[in-house]
Amino acid sequence: MSDFQVYLTIGIFAAVILVIAFDLADMTLAALLGVGAMIVTGILGEKDFLEVPAIAGGAISLLFGGMVVAHVLDRSGVFEWIGAPFIQFTGGSGKRFLLLLVLTVAAVCAFLPNATTVILFAPLIIRAAKALGVSYVVPMILTAIVSNAAGLLTLVGDPATFIVGSAIGMTFTQYLRQVSFAGLLAVLVIVPLLPRLMPEVWNAHRALPAARSAPRIERPYLAALALSVLAFMVLMFLFGEALPVRIVPPSVAIVAAALALLVIHGARVEQVDDVLRAVDWKTLFFLGAILCLMQGFIKTGLLQGLSLKLHGWFGTDFTLVALAMLAGVGVLSSVLANIPVVAASIVMTKGYLVAAEAVPELALSGEFSDWPAAVLPVFIAMMFGGTLGGNATMIGASANIVSVGICARHGERVTFARFLRYGLPITLAQLAVAALYLLVRRWWLS
Amino acid sequence: MTSRCLYRLFAYAVGAALLATAMVLPAQAGETTDGVKARGRLRCGVSEGIVGFSARDASGRWTGLDADFCRALAAAVLGDPEKVEFRPLKASERFPALNARAIDVLARNTSWTMSREVLLNVRFPGVLFYDAQGFMVGANSGVKTAADLKGATICVVKGTTHVEQMADYFDGRGDRIVPLVIDSEIGAADAFFAGKCRALTSDASQLAAARLRAPGGPTAFVILPERISKEPLGAAVRGGDDGWFMTVRWVLFALIAAEENGITQANVEARMSGAHSAIVRRLLGYQKQYARALGVRPDWMVRAIRAAGNYGEIFERNVGGESALKLDRGPNRLWTQGGLMYAPPLR
Repeated sequence: MSDFQVYLTIGIFAAVILVIAFDLADMTLAALLGVGAMIVTGILGEKDFLEVPAIAGGAISLLFGGMVVAHVLDRSGVFEWIGAPFIQFTGGSGKRFLLLLVLTVAAVCAFLPNATTVILFAPLIIRAAKALGVSYVVPMILTAIVSNAAGLLTLVGDPATFIVGSAIGMTFTQYLRQVSFAGLLAVLVIVPLLPRLMPEVWNAHRALPAARSAPRIERPYLAALALSVLAFMVLMFLFGEALPVRIVPPSVAIVAAALALLVIHGARVEQVDDVLRAVDWKTLFFLGAILCLMQGFIKTGLLQGLSLKLHGWFGTDFTLVALAMLAGVGVLSSVLANIPVVAASIVMTKGYLVAAEAVPELALSGEFSDWPAAVLPVFIAMMFGGTLGGNATMIGASANIVSVGICARHGERVTFARFLRYGLPITLAQLAVAALYLLVRRWWLS
Repeated sequence: MTSRCLYRLFAYAVGAALLATAMVLPAQAGETTDGVKARGRLRCGVSEGIVGFSARDASGRWTGLDADFCRALAAAVLGDPEKVEFRPLKASERFPALNARAIDVLARNTSWTMSREVLLNVRFPGVLFYDAQGFMVGANSGVKTAADLKGATICVVKGTTHVEQMADYFDGRGDRIVPLVIDSEIGAADAFFAGKCRALTSDASQLAAARLRAPGGPTAFVILPERISKEPLGAAVRGGDDGWFMTVRWVLFALIAAEENGITQANVEARMSGAHSAIVRRLLGYQKQYARALGVRPDWMVRAIRAAGNYGEIFERNVGGESALKLDRGPNRLWTQGGLMYAPPLR
């Protein structure tokens, strides 16, 4: 890539983000135009498009599968059935509704993919918000933000944490010991911010009609089968990778989507064509286009190239590097898809640590796992930055994109600025807590 | 201005920008080769200064076997041997730099090893110099063989294969030594000359280079006869870019083939125009045949040879008889002369 192309890549990326931020054009159109610009300027070539399924396929498969399963569950009447007690549990209080959301979404997202969880929770949230007489946009945004933060609770909670953890050979239990507490803090720090950021929902109160018995499910067999598909999907998300034939979450989502389609086709409730038409293709295209743009950005080598510069700037002060990483990856993840940012940051960090002679050159390989304890904060900071940074803007994480897409399909368009109003303060608070955790950790270990 | 006008203005601006850039930019074919051509210069990762391989001379110009190979490569790809940007790197920085795409080729006394190819995904297109790890001691130290170093402190450069190999060598003999691991080649040599170690270990060629700047002159130090490792030094590229790998590989083979066929820096033009033998005619004909596939200049072989000379000339000028190092060619002789240098057929 020539210097001109590097500048051009940054320019195209910046232009797409500015167009979305200032609401100058539809965000999917802006992202696709950006991809088009990268194609005609030779930044993205044939080889890159052959790699696109590898880059974007996982995220898009997860969302597609989640959307199909959620639609089939919705058609089976399951959400109405679960929704009624959920609404009753809020007691008509917006405050209880938001706290209930934080609690349940965090618990589920510690193990399940964030965006899929947002899709599955959306019908419940929309019903509950309508019952409380508040806009569903605010709880949908909160759900996305909590889902991203809760991804830090376990090693498998978020692709970014999983990628970093795998790159350094961190086990599930090591993660629980080293990182999960900070993940919990990142979720908890949201709670005191809710009354200030979301007063319209927090202060809402509506007297709910007296609890009635749960609504009758019209098609109990369909509901049972649809719930079986959901149970299969959840179990496979949790244990699929431990099977003799390893089934990764995106593959699970595809299998679940196929089963859900089979269920609804067999029940003759809806044509397969109609289910597929109900999928939010616009969101999927946007995500695909953003990931293609990321491929162009990664190709510039700018991020990876910082490895040698980091050594020059910070020497071997790993706490300082960790704080810089937290801020840098956090800011980048707020406007770029966090998975490729984190993947490129791993190359950068490993390069830095080898150049700093903290680890041998073999650390550049995927096989190395003998990381000294002193360098772990750098990787932990990367996990925090990649996961929490994405909360700031509506394009920072796939859960945000999905959440905004769902709102739009239900008639409420969420602007970049509106998301930022909630996302930015929460992200700043979460990154501050993460920084504090890193500093306390250093003090404690020293 | 209405939002409709803004939208239209934006659409026009994007359209115009796309059209303009599409017209000014060339079509791209492959990754590193295209990057080098688009940039108009080859970024070559070299040492911070190892005489004979890559070191700045008094005028600040990079010289040495590695530096010349980079010039030959630049001549083949860009048509101009001077279009090389030399990037000095510490040993520990070389693979991060390659991984981060901060350099296009690494020509920095780097040993071709299995771990580097298999685990680091680095590819070695060929061997530029067959070397081996040895030991240097003071001429008056009384040390005659490596066995005499039992219990001694030995200076070694951090981040190199030498550390482990030295440990293996002495462990195998049941001897104990004390390694003094130092950041750079220059630092290790300085520590040795300052008397902090009884011996300095490195590739024999690097020991010879270090000896040139020894206090008291080169004769004050000797290189012991033992060679404790195989160090096939070569240029390295990132894995996953076969096109670039082949370009680097066949530029090296072309330089070796040129020596095999008596084509030199001085006679390459005459041999090309005169077409003395069928072999030379074919050799020079192949360059056109493969140029397009490799993405290099049609006359890439001639340009590479004209820039740096054939392999033998590069060797003699930088590390052989014409150089200060005066190293014997040893295994770096052509295979026809009992050495290991061998270019596969260019047909």
